[in-house]
Amino acid sequence: MLQILIQGLLLSGLYALIAMGFTLIFSIGRVLNLAYGAYLMVGGYIYFWVSQSLGMPKLIGVAVAAALGVLMGVLKYRLIVKTLKGDHVAVEISTLILAVVIQAGIVLVFGDSSKILLPIVPGVINVAGASVTFNILIATLISWAILLGLYAFVRLTHTGRAMQAVSMDAKGAAISGIDPDRINLITWGISGALGAIGGVFFASYTQLSPSMWVAPLIISVAVVIVGGIGSILGTLVVAHIVGFLEVIVVATLAPELRGVFTMLLIIGVLITRPQGLFGREEL
Amino acid sequence: MGLRWFHFALWGGLIAGMFLLPQVVSNGTLRTMIFANYLAIFAISWDVLSGRTGYVSFGHPFLIGIGAYTTAILTKRFDIPVEISIPVAVVFTMIAGLLVLLPALRIRGSYFALVTLAFMELLYQLVQVIRPDLTGGTRGMSGIQTLTRGAANGYYLSTALMLAIAVSMWLLMKTRLGTALSAIGMNEESVRGSGLSTTRLKAFAFLTSAMIAGLGGAFYVHYLGSLAPRALFDINFLFTIIVAALLGGTSTIIGPMIGAFFMTFLLEYLRPVLPGAERYFVYGAIALLLYMYQPKGIVELVKRGFKNLSKGRTA
Amino acid sequence: MIKTALLSGTCIALMASAAGAEIKVGFIGSLSSDTGLSTLRGAEIAIEELNAKGGVMGEQITLVSADTGQDPTEGVRAYEYLAETEEVDFIISGSIDDVSLGWLPRMQEYRIPTLDTWTSYIGIIDMVVEDPESMTPYFMNIASDEALATLYINFGADVLKDKMGWESVVILAEDTAFGEAITGLVTEALAPVAGIEVKDIITYDVATVDFAPIFSRAQDTGADFIYQVSSVNSQVVSSQYVKLQVPMAMTGVNVSALGMEYWEDTGGAGGGISTLSPVPSVGFKLDPASQEFVDTYQAKYDSRPLLPHFNGFNAYHGLKQAMAAAEEAGGFDNVEAWAEAMKKQDLVLDMDGELWLRYAFWGDDEVEPVTDRTYPHNARFDLSEPFDDAQPSMVVVQWYEDGTAAVVYPDKYATGEFTLPSWVSE
Repeated sequence: MLQILIQGLLLSGLYALIAMGFTLIFSIGRVLNLAYGAYLMVGGYIYFWVSQSLGMPKLIGVAVAAALGVLMGVLKYRLIVKTLKGDHVAVEISTLILAVVIQAGIVLVFGDSSKILLPIVPGVINVAGASVTFNILIATLISWAILLGLYAFVRLTHTGRAMQAVSMDAKGAAISGIDPDRINLITWGISGALGAIGGVFFASYTQLSPSMWVAPLIISVAVVIVGGIGSILGTLVVAHIVGFLEVIVVATLAPELRGVFTMLLIIGVLITRPQGLFGREEL
Repeated sequence: MGLRWFHFALWGGLIAGMFLLPQVVSNGTLRTMIFANYLAIFAISWDVLSGRTGYVSFGHPFLIGIGAYTTAILTKRFDIPVEISIPVAVVFTMIAGLLVLLPALRIRGSYFALVTLAFMELLYQLVQVIRPDLTGGTRGMSGIQTLTRGAANGYYLSTALMLAIAVSMWLLMKTRLGTALSAIGMNEESVRGSGLSTTRLKAFAFLTSAMIAGLGGAFYVHYLGSLAPRALFDINFLFTIIVAALLGGTSTIIGPMIGAFFMTFLLEYLRPVLPGAERYFVYGAIALLLYMYQPKGIVELVKRGFKNLSKGRTA
Repeated sequence: MIKTALLSGTCIALMASAAGAEIKVGFIGSLSSDTGLSTLRGAEIAIEELNAKGGVMGEQITLVSADTGQDPTEGVRAYEYLAETEEVDFIISGSIDDVSLGWLPRMQEYRIPTLDTWTSYIGIIDMVVEDPESMTPYFMNIASDEALATLYINFGADVLKDKMGWESVVILAEDTAFGEAITGLVTEALAPVAGIEVKDIITYDVATVDFAPIFSRAQDTGADFIYQVSSVNSQVVSSQYVKLQVPMAMTGVNVSALGMEYWEDTGGAGGGISTLSPVPSVGFKLDPASQEFVDTYQAKYDSRPLLPHFNGFNAYHGLKQAMAAAEEAGGFDNVEAWAEAMKKQDLVLDMDGELWLRYAFWGDDEVEPVTDRTYPHNARFDLSEPFDDAQPSMVVVQWYEDGTAAVVYPDKYATGEFTLPSWVSE
């Protein structure tokens, strides 16, 4: 029981971190960035290259990954989202194509065999019979810190409040002097960085492989749908629902069914309560 | 309904051309065309649902997979002849189509796309877990009965199937029903306002799309002779279907066909030049650039080309 | 649009048939995996050496490759491409199980002599037994996986039970056909033959990302050690075992630990892991002929895999044998004659005057004494000491915590000792 609690908390923290960047774009730009999983993948691979192949310090690896995430986010906004002028379906389809292209690029550069990231923070402690790596513990703590930071940023800073305004009503925000283009650009950049950092932790928790982008994308989709648009709090809560659901299913039912309930949750919520469990709150 | 003699002449020419092809081209090319034919069927099926009504499906492999798995299981595990198993597979796929319709009654746009993606992932996980003795689990199935032997026979069968579906869809879309479906894609509210039942229209579109997907999936698996969940419920497969429909041009019949042939031959002709992983990269990049350049597809490009031509002539 | 596609299609087909005055070998497999590249490069080197000696039947050999991307459907297309566009005479395959199963119906249709070097799936050999006529062109020159479990049982009796004193095991197997088959074979024989009690069998999904709860369950059984059965993403299991420092010994089958790149790919989180491996494996002492192949290989290629996997050796020797068979049979066109000649190929590689490796095939009706069944068209292997008929089907490989690897079983081939990870107390 305690084991489930610990493992559930840790996994959920990681999921919250992964889903955050995806939620952000969906709230502010109202588009689904299906290449989001690819940010995570690129982040993980770049970290692997910098810190494990080149042997640079781990912090530099994370920084390079985050910087590349920002770059990818900004480029995608400039080259794809703006070019398609907010046609949501076109953006979604082009990001899907982009994800497939990035996957092929990863195979091209790194080959298709899986790679294992060393723990960012090595070490293990034993809590109530469950082995807990420092790595996932740190990932969870960082995830909480980032979420709180983001919450504060959105609530307290000028840019953050502008983001909120764009999220609620882009036209109204434009009238009151906010440049939605700039806000979108910032949001895409932040989302890219969050994705890349999340990717480093996700990959150090699982593995690197060219098809690793699908699982975090599905998790993000689940969190966004079940949580509803634009709620940092909703993201946090639902990440825990999804995380605990998985841990409980693995521990009590069968490990093979781990993803099945997440899918059923998505379908169930969308059919019965399309606006998500937490409706539309402010960002 | 805007039927003109030259429409029939064009179809007739295409049909005659496609059936004479084995006299001219090599078996290798025919093999590629078989895959193009099946991709065209899938793209037409996707277009009936998504291109027309605007309900973008990211889970089309879900429908295709139901058709493929049903007939594969029936023939391989229960020795049921294909004459029975394929129709049963189509019926099952149509029932699955109704399942996808459920969320479409309440949500649209991005949310609908996501729920279909969830359907695909759900089936992917379920076939590996539930009754692996029937589905073959993670490994899938091989040694499934094939309907034809040899390139030419496979080509004739797939071409006949593809053309039959294309022509009947074309005729269907020329009716008022087709117009109404496209109208849903443009503005669902106004269709409802004009007194038509959008639910019934959507149900019709979903069932038609599922029927084509089921037919295509069933014949496809009896052509391949094997089936693997990893390849079937794959975002890359989904990507090929959607891009074929989009690159050709949605809301047309010839568009998805052109797109399917373009995508299949592009990948095949890159093979001798780029045998390795570069191939998929270049292939995806070309698809992305073309889509960004003209989201309405090749048909639109050709139309514009003609317009410019005729303008040039009158001027 | 369609028209131009057709025109260029005909052109390519014409060019292909114009250049037909040579022996054309097709490679099928993934061009971006170590597995696929091992076979491809083994074949490349064999072809270069044959061509340098004047080719086969006076003709030079050329090689074309078709990428499968490890996708069964792509595999079917790749096989069709080789057969109908390239019109190859012979196909060498580095495909994984699922991909081979995908293109096998095509092989039966085209009847092109085909040699599989990686997949060891016993189901394919069963197909040869059941339908020898349509499987005539097929050969598999790696010992099929039925033989794998047998060697493991002996390892269990000799080392795990006698030397380590372990009496109970918990099996940790992936939920795949491979996992199921190996688990079945191991559980049926482990108790009666080796006297090791199977406490529990835990199956896990191949997409599992977090093994912490699964390792907790394994520890709760109170067994002496864990037996791992993983072919897909197996480095995830073993690296989490290392990262979590599970205080319990683990051995078994870990497919990703079969290549030298295992260490780099896991960032060193792979020490203490042991696995069954087909031969020659990492840490395997090589006979002079195989060593020469490795030297040529390493002089020619400087990208991964730096050491060819076992299937690279299979491809190198197997391709030469296929060509020798063609010379005897007067080419590849008469498949029956070629297959008969192929069955007679026999390459014995000695080391210090002893039989070390042997590349030969089982006779059609020859019954292997230990498993009491036939293995037509399958590589010859030996399941009992002193391995004087052929090499063992598998060896046990140990990765040490300093990044080196050695063969630890059977004794004849051993280059190191079976050890426990430093965090596991005996």
